[in-house]
Amino acid sequence: MSDITLNIDDIVCKGSRGDTILEVARKNDVYIPTMCFLEGLSPMGSCRMCVVEVEGNPKLMTSCTTPASDGMKVHTKTEKLRAYRKQILELLFAGRNHFCMFCSQSGDCELQRLAIEHGMDAVRYPFLYADFNNDTSDGAIQVDHNRCVLCLRCIRVCAEKVGAHTLDLDKRGWASRVVADIGLPLGKSDTCVTCGACAQVCPTGTITLREFAYRGRRHDCDDQVESICPLCAMGCRIRAFVRTGSVARVEGVCVDCPDGGQLCRKGRWGLPESTERERVTKPMIRQGSTFREATWDEALTLAADRIRAAAPTGRAGAVVSELCTDEELSIFADFFKGSLRFDKVDCFAGDALRGFVRGFEPFTKQGLRPFTGAHDILQADAILLLGANPQDEAPVTSSYIRVATIRNGAKLLNVSHCCDPYPNISDADLRVPVEDMGTTLATLTGALERREPIECAGMAVLDAIASHLRNAKKPVVVIGSAVARFHPELVTAAVNVAIAAKAFFGDGLGVVPMVTTGNGLGTVNTILADTPWVEDANLDFMYVFSTGMVPDAKPVLEAMSRARFVVAHTPYMVHPLVNMADILLPAPAWYERSGHYCTLEGERRRMNLIVSPKAELRGLSVILHDIAAGAGVPFETGNSAVPCENVFKSTLPPEQARIAAVSAPSTAGAREV
Amino acid sequence: MAKPKLASVWLEACAGCHMSFLDIDERIVDLIGKVDLTSTPITDIKEIPDVDVGVIEGALGNEEEAHIARELRSKCRILIAWGDCAVFGGINCMRNFRSVGDVLKKGYVDTISTVNPEGVIPGGDVPALLKHAIPVDREVRVDVYVPGCPPDADTILYVFQEILQGRIPKVPSDKMRYD
Repeated sequence: MSDITLNIDDIVCKGSRGDTILEVARKNDVYIPTMCFLEGLSPMGSCRMCVVEVEGNPKLMTSCTTPASDGMKVHTKTEKLRAYRKQILELLFAGRNHFCMFCSQSGDCELQRLAIEHGMDAVRYPFLYADFNNDTSDGAIQVDHNRCVLCLRCIRVCAEKVGAHTLDLDKRGWASRVVADIGLPLGKSDTCVTCGACAQVCPTGTITLREFAYRGRRHDCDDQVESICPLCAMGCRIRAFVRTGSVARVEGVCVDCPDGGQLCRKGRWGLPESTERERVTKPMIRQGSTFREATWDEALTLAADRIRAAAPTGRAGAVVSELCTDEELSIFADFFKGSLRFDKVDCFAGDALRGFVRGFEPFTKQGLRPFTGAHDILQADAILLLGANPQDEAPVTSSYIRVATIRNGAKLLNVSHCCDPYPNISDADLRVPVEDMGTTLATLTGALERREPIECAGMAVLDAIASHLRNAKKPVVVIGSAVARFHPELVTAAVNVAIAAKAFFGDGLGVVPMVTTGNGLGTVNTILADTPWVEDANLDFMYVFSTGMVPDAKPVLEAMSRARFVVAHTPYMVHPLVNMADILLPAPAWYERSGHYCTLEGERRRMNLIVSPKAELRGLSVILHDIAAGAGVPFETGNSAVPCENVFKSTLPPEQARIAAVSAPSTAGAREV
Repeated sequence: MAKPKLASVWLEACAGCHMSFLDIDERIVDLIGKVDLTSTPITDIKEIPDVDVGVIEGALGNEEEAHIARELRSKCRILIAWGDCAVFGGINCMRNFRSVGDVLKKGYVDTISTVNPEGVIPGGDVPALLKHAIPVDREVRVDVYVPGCPPDADTILYVFQEILQGRIPKVPSDKMRYD
């Protein structure tokens, strides 16, 4: 019985109890103009564009904040309202300097659109010629306070979605100004994570991104493509605006998703930056210290000859980027493992991924899914960080952690060998040397299982952590990639803590692994090696597929320099990688490809082609077919496992998880984390 | 019935609005059949006669421009403000954040391209600047506002056609722009 019925502009509108008038109107396609309101952010009713008349109430009501009630009669389009809204717009235009002719956001501006919509052909009030400064202190984000309408969307998105709380309001009335860190210019802020969310939500030309200024209005763009960002494992949804083959603007997509449509610095600027890099445009073959151009046939024949010689010796290997799509990873697995029977196939950051896979193994064997979607951190009331630095590893996860802690009151508990990534907001911070980490986590697990305090001397912080976890209803454990890379047994120990703390979510155990590389989860069961080989490799032939988007791992580069013959397949002239190639094959850049990614959000998401490929390219399967034919081996695709099926599979509810034995520290245990 | 007379002036602006007016292309032939163009920047007649419709392109930045606006207002029945400068002040308002003295010094002495070793700032026979560059309606009453930088040719023609039909138009949203 939660349904209510309203009469809005003589239209019968259904809504749910708890909806605002605006929500009911939008559900029923009744248009009410808004400015400070933004879906996903808490409404504040300050701009008063959305005022409506409610019968029986003499006041004009802001529809974004007024709860709808059954039987309400609402008018949204009366002459009185129109005049009132137009007056508000005129006052805004008179108050600060809204001169569209030289504003980069003209045509994309909500204030302009509303004013034109309301037929504002002149301003009846004297212009105040506000003389605020133009804050150009930040290299990427520009703030012209003279164009601000004080809708506070930027402040709200920074607090509610990014959790950075960088922006706030200084002074009152006409003198009000959005400031960073209680009065600093934005460029001097040490809380700003430069994600650009403030610019994305700004309705005017106040907060703008230099990279996208004057690159084209949204409606002038030739295409808008929804895809995902491959630059960490979050797989955030992006919308790219393409104009004449170049990227004019990148925005987050989904305002009602957990991420609120935010992107991190990499997601916002990674795409335009990567379109401006030097490309490998044609196949090339090494000639002394340089390369000469070659035909595809020539390059692939040479590669096939070398493979035919090296494959039977076992001294042939392949390293494939984790930024490949599931489809590409499957093809590579079919080719290198199925056709060529290489026993040495891996990805660039294989060690960290292997660490997670091994650490999770006891639990996957139980039939559990030992991790949960990263956005579930928002539901958590206690967050245990284990050697994690989410702002570097998967920045939007860091937003979740900040929002959960600051806004939802979750306890933030840090156990680390090196640092506290959130020194100002963490509730407990325990520094443990790596060699003692296993004992510490076992003690914590035991205390949680027995529901007893830890009373040993010098264990007060651990006891506090145990107590917070014991009191929590939805705890979550975030495991850093550095920990997993060298100490898979600590991953197991951390999952044990999660089980003992009853960190159970709908989709699996309350563990978030900081997989840092794009489709890292997709390499599991496709190209990720069971045992590491890259560091000791001394190969006659090596095939490397690099997407050139993350710094290539040093061990891979060293293995390449030791190898007798290297085929590098890459979109960019990435140094030093291309220096070690004997054959260079052009590949499409990430925004020129399509396919699927397994993301940390626990979903398989689709990557779409944003810009058509520019180089002289061939499809991956065509290339591999040609090499296989030249090398005289059969090549069939479709034999390897579908990447995400195994990774995301779960046959047991998380509540039935059993604590697992922790294996002995690996031989690499003595190494620096 | 005699053709209605029209006069236009080009004050503090770039002439873009008059250019946009000329963008009505061949339709100007038809318009001239119905309207008598008197003093305009296009016809180059200096004296403003009594007219039915006066058009101002540009903001008012100095005393001469304010005078011309008052003169045109007194000689016309319907006054149209063309373009963002006339309607809102436009780009001329960039000087409104400095004092008049500062503006003159910046313009005549400080700019990199200026050679003025004695720092002479002209006065006397040059009209004095107003304190601010202002929209036309801060000085005289305006009957029709046509914002845009510049307004579309179609919008300009629409306004004339409406006036020829005996109406005082308001530019509708789908014909309005601010840039």
